[in-house]
Amino acid sequence: MKAAVKGLAFEYSAALLEYLGGGGEAALLRAYQLGRAALAEGLGVLELAALHQETLVTVLLRMLAPDESGRIAERASEFFAESLAPFEMTHRGFQEANAILRNINRELEQRVQRILTDYETARTQLAEQRRIERLKNDFISIVSHELRTPLTSIHGALGLVNAGVLARGLSPQVSQLLDVAYRNSQRLVRLVDDILDLQKIESGAMAFHLHPLEMRPLLAQAIEANHAYANGLGVRLELLEAPTETRVYADPDRLMQVMTNLLSNAAKFSPPGETVSVQWSRRAGMVRVSVTDRGPGISEEFKERIFQRFAQADASSTREKGGTGLGLSITKAIVERLGGTIGFEARPDVGTTFYFELPEWREKVQRRGGRT
Amino acid sequence: MERTLERILLVEDDPDIQIVASLALSQFGGFTVQVSGSAGEALRAAPAFAPDLILLDVMMPGMDGPSTLQALREIPAVTATPVIFMTAKILPQEVAQYRELGSLGVIAKPFDPTTLAERVRELWREHHD
Repeated sequence: MKAAVKGLAFEYSAALLEYLGGGGEAALLRAYQLGRAALAEGLGVLELAALHQETLVTVLLRMLAPDESGRIAERASEFFAESLAPFEMTHRGFQEANAILRNINRELEQRVQRILTDYETARTQLAEQRRIERLKNDFISIVSHELRTPLTSIHGALGLVNAGVLARGLSPQVSQLLDVAYRNSQRLVRLVDDILDLQKIESGAMAFHLHPLEMRPLLAQAIEANHAYANGLGVRLELLEAPTETRVYADPDRLMQVMTNLLSNAAKFSPPGETVSVQWSRRAGMVRVSVTDRGPGISEEFKERIFQRFAQADASSTREKGGTGLGLSITKAIVERLGGTIGFEARPDVGTTFYFELPEWREKVQRRGGRT
Repeated sequence: MERTLERILLVEDDPDIQIVASLALSQFGGFTVQVSGSAGEALRAAPAFAPDLILLDVMMPGMDGPSTLQALREIPAVTATPVIFMTAKILPQEVAQYRELGSLGVIAKPFDPTTLAERVRELWREHHD
């Protein structure tokens, strides 16, 4: 007990004694004021009750005859002890509840601190990831642009010689070597273009100009555009007619890029003399375009990583087929950016169908009079 | 009277690309090509050569393609001569920027030397239609 409280308690006890000894209202008022002051200074309720007990017992002892005083004082003390027991238990209960609450509070503070620390860590990691992503994109962009300048000279010079513009009458070996160099410079150009395309898609820099597109003319145009390439491989491209008018909401150039990739892949992996067929269908609000070849199918092992970058069935495939290993991952990224999905079904020695699905475009023409 | 496309001023700082592009344009397109290796050379050569079209590289040391175009517009002989940019910087926002500068279009590097002249003619025709 603090000294100030102790002093007030002592004075309060004396004032009570004075009142009980016949001190009148003045003593009662003083006792009341001292009691309030002691409580305000922090005197506990149980301590106050103990003071009352002590004062009453003292008064009783003073009033009683000496032979009775011991017994009465003992009974009075027992009575007060009994009366105070529930308060003591409640007080102890409060103390225990207080301790529990303090623990809960401490735990909550620790949890909040952990959450704040985790949040800060995640924020730092995210900022770092974004910084690395930006650095990567800048690096790819710069490297690709820097590669384009020497490639322009190499590809251009070889293209001119190979076209027979300047040097006619070259020996077959020299012509063959020039052809090798020219084809590989073309491959390098395609690789740089594909790397840039992928970087543009990933960084969100690739622009998509979306329009409602009629499927039939677009697919016919894609076949026309890839006809010469397939023809060079001895493969025919055909468009199977579908009866209904079907439209999608897409970027025509990007959709043409998707079709070119699927058609050129199908032609590359088809045996000479075979046909690659393109068809489209509508199902549950989606338009599915399928490109089917009669090639060797796709191995189980390769199926899992077919859409990954630089994922070709084997290294010789890159050499033989002249791909960059990025075409399908670009195609997948474009289809997904158009709100669609891409997949394939392959049967060994029967052929492979690559398909993509895009949401069907249905124009709602609201006219006056409620007609639609 | 509508001009025909015969004389092309090629502004390109890379000597190798100068050779390839001028050969491709003359051999496949039959154009008369004059090569300038820098903006300064182009500004000096333009009045006398009086080109029908200017093929302008974008990234050049010193004055770049867009600044060269601005300077060429100050020369009376070529103030309205159509310009096509040739560049390896072909991000969509970059291409849009070149068009805003008043060029007929953009030819991306690396270009196919066998179709370069045809591509130039296409852009020229689009401009005159």
